[in-house]
Amino acid sequence: MLLAFVLRRLGGAGVVFLLVSLLAFLLIWLVPGDAVAVLLDAAASPEETARLRAALGLDRAPLEQMLAWYGGLARGELGHSLLLNRSVAEALLERLPVTLSLAALALATAVVLGTSAGIGAALAHGSWFDQALMGAALFGLSVPDFWLGLMFIIVFALGLGWFPTGGFVPFSESPVGWARSLALPGLALGLTQMGFIARMARSAMLDVLDQDFVRTAEAKGLSRRRIILVHALPNALVPIVTVIGIVSGALLGGSVVIEQVFSIPGVGRLIVGAILARDFPVIQGGLIFLAGVYLLVNLIVDLLYAVIDPRVRLA
Amino acid sequence: MTRTFGRRTILAAGAGALVAPSVLRGQARGGDAVLAIVQAPPSLDAQVTSAQAARNVNLHMYETLFARDENARPVPDLASGVHISDDGRTYVFTLRSDVRFHNGKRLEAEDVVASIERYRRVGASPSLLAAIESVTATKRDEVTIRLKEVQATFLDNLSSPRAPIAIYPAEEAAKPANQIAFIGTGPFRFVEYRPDSHVRLERFGDYVPNPNARGRDGFAGRKEVTLNSVTFRFMPEAGARTAALEAGEIHFVESVDGPTARRLGGNPRFAIYRALPFAFQVIKFNHALGPTADVRFRRAIVAALDMEEIMAVSYPDIYQLDGAWIFPGTAFHTLEGTGPYNKPDLALARRLLAEAGYRGERLTFIVDNLRSNVDTATVVQQRVREIGVAIDLSVSDWPTVSRIGFTPTGWHFWAHGFGIEPFEGPGSVMAPWVNGLSQQRPDPAIDAMFAELNRAFDEGERRRIFSRFQAHMWEQAVAIKAGNYGLFQAATTRLRDFVPYRIPRMWGVRLDA
Amino acid sequence: MEPRDLGSPAPWRRLLASRSFAIGGVLLVAIALAAVFAPVLAPYDPLRGNFRLRLSPPGPLHWLGTDHFGRDILSRLLFGARLSLAIGAATTVASGLLGALIGAPAGYFRRLDEPLMRLMDALMAFPAILLAMAIAATLGASVGNVIIALAIATTPHTARVVRASVLVVRELEFVEAARSIGATETRILLRHVLLNCLGPLIVRLTYVFAIAVLAEAALSYIGVGPPPPAPSFGNIIAGGRDFLVTAPWITIAPGSAIIAIVLALNLLGDGLRDVLDPRLRI
Repeated sequence: MLLAFVLRRLGGAGVVFLLVSLLAFLLIWLVPGDAVAVLLDAAASPEETARLRAALGLDRAPLEQMLAWYGGLARGELGHSLLLNRSVAEALLERLPVTLSLAALALATAVVLGTSAGIGAALAHGSWFDQALMGAALFGLSVPDFWLGLMFIIVFALGLGWFPTGGFVPFSESPVGWARSLALPGLALGLTQMGFIARMARSAMLDVLDQDFVRTAEAKGLSRRRIILVHALPNALVPIVTVIGIVSGALLGGSVVIEQVFSIPGVGRLIVGAILARDFPVIQGGLIFLAGVYLLVNLIVDLLYAVIDPRVRLA
Repeated sequence: MTRTFGRRTILAAGAGALVAPSVLRGQARGGDAVLAIVQAPPSLDAQVTSAQAARNVNLHMYETLFARDENARPVPDLASGVHISDDGRTYVFTLRSDVRFHNGKRLEAEDVVASIERYRRVGASPSLLAAIESVTATKRDEVTIRLKEVQATFLDNLSSPRAPIAIYPAEEAAKPANQIAFIGTGPFRFVEYRPDSHVRLERFGDYVPNPNARGRDGFAGRKEVTLNSVTFRFMPEAGARTAALEAGEIHFVESVDGPTARRLGGNPRFAIYRALPFAFQVIKFNHALGPTADVRFRRAIVAALDMEEIMAVSYPDIYQLDGAWIFPGTAFHTLEGTGPYNKPDLALARRLLAEAGYRGERLTFIVDNLRSNVDTATVVQQRVREIGVAIDLSVSDWPTVSRIGFTPTGWHFWAHGFGIEPFEGPGSVMAPWVNGLSQQRPDPAIDAMFAELNRAFDEGERRRIFSRFQAHMWEQAVAIKAGNYGLFQAATTRLRDFVPYRIPRMWGVRLDA
Repeated sequence: MEPRDLGSPAPWRRLLASRSFAIGGVLLVAIALAAVFAPVLAPYDPLRGNFRLRLSPPGPLHWLGTDHFGRDILSRLLFGARLSLAIGAATTVASGLLGALIGAPAGYFRRLDEPLMRLMDALMAFPAILLAMAIAATLGASVGNVIIALAIATTPHTARVVRASVLVVRELEFVEAARSIGATETRILLRHVLLNCLGPLIVRLTYVFAIAVLAEAALSYIGVGPPPPAPSFGNIIAGGRDFLVTAPWITIAPGSAIIAIVLALNLLGDGLRDVLDPRLRI
């Protein structure tokens, strides 16, 4: 049953991939200008522009380019960047660790802080502590992540000098430098997603604490700690896991802007740069890639959901 | 006055007889310099791009037969000299015998021929070489170029840094645009390129500084390198560039804003350099569409504008008010004909506007998203609102804006900088207005002056032509030059002997430990 | 489950008793009033600057300081609130209409469910920021294009909310009853089912409004929002990015304004949710 479910989802993913790539082509056709504009200064004449366009093979008809691209995709190739002097796959792969580090840090921040805050609030239901935590969560939901990043830069990078204002240090080069370069952007992204998880965690925990089996456990005189850790928490995790899927999607979108703010060479900035430079193969490959990550995360979340909660029908 | 073109031979000063003592001889080598530049080079294939960001990196790796000296005049670089025939149509270049490519191969005539041929096929500014009839390797170290017709600016063109006619090994020159291995003859060799992060170059061990030259001299001269490596980091965020400099992560910043320059200037750890003038701020008019087709309307806009406001907002603390269409301090600079420049007079503007019959139609100001250009557009928009001219800003990225701006519809105003053109000289400043390229309607007066300039070999004659062009630009309000702007560049004081130029040159400097 | 009737007094009374709703409502009304009366309240022209007063810190003349054109930040914020609220409202309406138009048939007609939801998945997998960049590059940055991009980006989730509600309502007795007396499917969908999905939809749209205000700022920050000199919050923040050290007030004030609006909307949404859609408890 699980296999059938995965296959069905993969089939759906294939359809989504096709739609995303068609959407991307539609955009590329509509967007004026091409990569030649980035290579030339403002004094280039139309003839010079046209010549260079031909030299770079950009003068082919859109349909021809599209067919060539799908042909390449069928052979497992995403094509070659017009400007970066490498294949699209290489360009994406060298950015992947950067974006993954950032997203992982942000997700860890959001999940750890959000879950603890939510469960803490649920256990202190109705107290000032609950209200304070939920107020903070709501506040977190209301702060623009890129603005929080700018505030962090003003205070912690420019003011106190504890962190760099931007850029990225690979883990292999210096683990400490890596952590310092990702701390501020990771926190800015994570904190703004934390509120969402905290609210979900609190509500899930409250639901569980309200259920019969917890009451039974209480009646049997089990310790409160045991009830919470052994009975309530595992059940409360189910809805939290689904939220993580949604948060991951939000992180993908959010990382695009945060990567701009902190000059982090991740996948988002690669695609933003490609749009600005009209590097069409990179735009196309990058969007497909992001869609793939998004679908994969949601598939994993659904599977996790099914595994933790056998009541979920996979039909 | 006419001047016949005589047989002449150009050799570099010093002419090999006297090898200038190295200014850097005996000094310790070493140091890994890190430079922050604002934009990434769009290509490291120097021939196919005329972007400023590309020059920053590429002119450290590649060289040309002739190159511009400190005063932007063409002097021999890879060539040891040129012999020009009596009829002015045959140029015989002798190559220096001590030049090696980064792959160890010796520079030979066939490399030069292949590179020039490639440039004519895929180069970004093929008009530079449009006069060439043939290029041949006449000896192992001799290249002969035959022109279709006499061209006074041929050596200027050949030495243009705009999209440099870089000399590649013949086997690389056989490759299509943007697909070469990055092998040149320059003092630095390519190590790695990480998009959105950095380019790293290292000192080319087998580099022989031009023995015919003395000292650092523009893009030519003796390029002595002490640094082990240079890393160009792409840092679009101004705050990040400054912070990295203050934290000691980088040694040089291509551009900082005025307030930051003032703050850093007060700190003995940093040196501030003013690269001024670096470029013009220009506001172009579309002569093919609506009110901007009318010279009285264009004059009204000129009369309305306060150039100081434009420049002070767009380029705080690093601008010059100057109506001349060439850099001050150069031979062609004159204030002749710049009368209408920066005489804000709203009453006159309103009168001209009424004469032009402007009826309040909304006009479009296209501009790319570079901050200073948007600032210029915004100041103009708010200023002319006072005389009743309604402008909408249309901000887009450069590919879109440059696509629209070279068509006769969809725009009335367009603001951007002209940097390399005034550096290159009068011909390059005039070229964008020839055939109506930038204003979208041919201007026979400009076309005639440009043709005259190309035929004139006499400097005085050329000056007169250019000053007529300048007067015409203001009289017809062909376009507006708002002023000159520059760059504040900041460096650690450990970086010694730095002199600002078109690009931050990393030869002739050292980095103290 | 009884069909909810929005006309009866009970939900409204409960709503007014909700503290979240009250605080959020008061805050939002205050901001909306400030926006509406911006021309009266603003001390200066939000577009015209005095370049001799550029980058002035907050003081008696300019309470929140000036930007690098010498424009008054407070005046720009007041007018910016208009723009942000207008973009938020327009996005909300568009997302609601599109979401209902797509979500209701998907939930009601089984054959439409799969294709419509896969299309929604494809849009969700497409980061809104990149979509907006592409639109801005094509059509130029403009308020209308920002609304289009945000509507496209928020519609999939709205459609899912509507679809989920429709799936539940479809099976209820009163729908069966309508069917049995011969009502057409379209009529049932429009008359009975959609009306009963309004609760969750309104809650979702309150959050869409909040998301739109946040996203507008992000889009303007990367330069694809309303074109300058429009004083949108994101534009003001973007204008301060080069002056984080020398003039941090340019960046701080508009961010705080965004937080105030989004907080108000979230509170409002929480209050509405407790009353209209008790099943949801996020």
